[in-house]
Amino acid sequence: MAKTYDYLFKLLLIGDSGVGKTCILFRFSEDAFNTTFISTIGIDFKIRTIELDGKKIKLQIWDTAGQERFRTITTAYYRGAMGIMLVYDITQEKSFENIKNWIRNIEENASSDVEKMLLGNKCELNDKRQVSKERGQQLAVEYGIKFIETSAKSSINVEEAFLTLASDIKAKMEKRMESSNPPKGGVHVSKASDSTRKPESWLSRCSLL
Amino acid sequence: MGENSLPGEFDLLVQGTGFTESIVAAAASRIGKTVLHIDSNEYYGGQWASFNLEGFQKHLSESPNFQATQNWNTDESETSEWTKENILKTSRRFSIDLTPKLLFSRGKLVKLLISSNICRYAEFRAADNVCTFEESTSSLKSVPCSRTDVFNSKDLTIIEKRLLMKLLNSFLNYKDEEVPEEFKNYLGKPFLEFLKFQRLTPKIINNVMNSISMCDEDALLEEGIEKTKNFLLNLGFYGNTPFLFPMYGCGEIPQCFCRLCAVFGGVYCLKKPISKIEEKDDEISFTTDNQVIKAKKLVFGSSNIPEELLSSEKKTDHCCGGLSRGVFILEKPLGSEELNSGGGGVNFLKLPGGNGGAFILQLSHYSGTCPKGLHLVHITSKSSSTPSDDLQPFVEKLFTDEHKPLYTAYFTLPSCSSKVSTTENIVECCGTFFELDYDKSIENAEMVFKKLYPDEEFLPRAPDPEEIIIENEDPTAISEHTLPEDLKAQLLLEESSKEV
Repeated sequence: MAKTYDYLFKLLLIGDSGVGKTCILFRFSEDAFNTTFISTIGIDFKIRTIELDGKKIKLQIWDTAGQERFRTITTAYYRGAMGIMLVYDITQEKSFENIKNWIRNIEENASSDVEKMLLGNKCELNDKRQVSKERGQQLAVEYGIKFIETSAKSSINVEEAFLTLASDIKAKMEKRMESSNPPKGGVHVSKASDSTRKPESWLSRCSLL
Repeated sequence: MGENSLPGEFDLLVQGTGFTESIVAAAASRIGKTVLHIDSNEYYGGQWASFNLEGFQKHLSESPNFQATQNWNTDESETSEWTKENILKTSRRFSIDLTPKLLFSRGKLVKLLISSNICRYAEFRAADNVCTFEESTSSLKSVPCSRTDVFNSKDLTIIEKRLLMKLLNSFLNYKDEEVPEEFKNYLGKPFLEFLKFQRLTPKIINNVMNSISMCDEDALLEEGIEKTKNFLLNLGFYGNTPFLFPMYGCGEIPQCFCRLCAVFGGVYCLKKPISKIEEKDDEISFTTDNQVIKAKKLVFGSSNIPEELLSSEKKTDHCCGGLSRGVFILEKPLGSEELNSGGGGVNFLKLPGGNGGAFILQLSHYSGTCPKGLHLVHITSKSSSTPSDDLQPFVEKLFTDEHKPLYTAYFTLPSCSSKVSTTENIVECCGTFFELDYDKSIENAEMVFKKLYPDEEFLPRAPDPEEIIIENEDPTAISEHTLPEDLKAQLLLEESSKEV
């Protein structure tokens, strides 16, 4: 099967329960908003392919599967992630304060050069706001990452956020590829690779002796 | 209910996040059971966990039943790159397995990961070399795995190449229904005796006996045929050897099953001891953080047995646990430069010896388990005495003066208690076994699952994200009749869409 994309980026959504991670994911991947999927049963990740500078980029965006609730995100979740959206709810002070803990968690488990971005979600609920835009900006500056306020419900800035993160990852990656050969990765096992060999072919694979 | 309290009722409580328990949790969640998965440790994996270097050292020093010893032997001079301090600075780059494993490319675990669609959570590196120890030169040699390898091998003479190919072919074509003449007289007799009679060279016998079939000296021909065949049939899928190693260590594997459990609604809590377990009228109640929770069934890992379930008398015989382990950090990897070309990878060696010998795994930074420039060596054997005594014969063979480990640790993975009282609704999972792959543990998990839910399917394929339709999405995007029944049922999410 021919590859239909130039790059594949694994992105993660991280943040407290209820800040709207899954809603952001759905707004971006399906352009839909739905408040009923409180626990995200059966949803692992969503895929959307975007185009940047003529390159097709397949974004694979992973949800926490509810494991953020008791801080039990697996180390495996962070493996291979190239970008992380840190999400808080502008109407929940606590979710903003916890961003620091999530960053610590990322530092412990994710690759050190992972691209991060801070999102203040639910910006349509301005009358219930507890965290000012300035505080969000300030925190982002502190960590040297980008910041944007979003609304998954009113479809504000979600698209922009993902495109920004993706283009930052792309820039970093292309810079690295220019300076050296890309690092050697592992293999995935899947149905697709299953068919590459029939058990009998061991002998027929190479010719004589 | 506060934000941090748990729901009060579950179908299944799983205590311990080891490999076997995690499979059971995933399988139960997958068929729609509500699962609470708890571990008293603050990390996933129990006896199957991996740690960074600091975490590993801490874990050994805090586990009294591990009989652990640790020893640093670094060059502390100013010119030395790898002083103790410098190695500890890279602690986070280590992922040190308590129970290191290799997966056969078409073994039980790989098949399960593929059939359940859990493979998308993990990444693997194909093992680079299967090695053998050549007694005459006290050195490691690569075992030729494919035809090309045999052909290109510099360690075998042309005659040896022919003999080896002929022998392997005869194993591959072996059928029980029509036993070839040369095998007939040796059925029921030792494999080694059969090999010796084939007029092979000691080198070939060593390769086939210790590295390809990995048979003990007293193994019978039948076992030798089966194991050799298995090795050959796992070749050619990924890379040059029949084995895969999970990137970032084997501790990732239980977590992959946990993720699936969570994706299907399983609730996770670490660092949460439970107490006051009581079974009454087909219902189990227990307390955690002053909250009383009820569950219909309980599964626990053998390294995590609730006190209430310990009985005074011996109930069952277990054969799990009881492993002696060695962990070594090296600057100069074992084996020749050729065996470690390009900075090394994943090299595997089986050494014969009494009591089943030892599995040896050498990992470079390409495995994601140690920093660049260092190498991690794992040795695993059955335990009969202290771990350092058990592993001494292997250590002496491998670590000559030029390969002195910078850091050495020995520990035991204790055998599990056989004093557990279980009931129909309370089931125990075994701990680690002395095996290269995970076959016995998977059999154990499947058995536990069948005991709990006899009529249910064990880990059917999980849908890909593209196959899931949420209401409000355009249902014409995927035609409904292409979905399997189990998926359709799952997708019937609540109709009511309340706006906040």
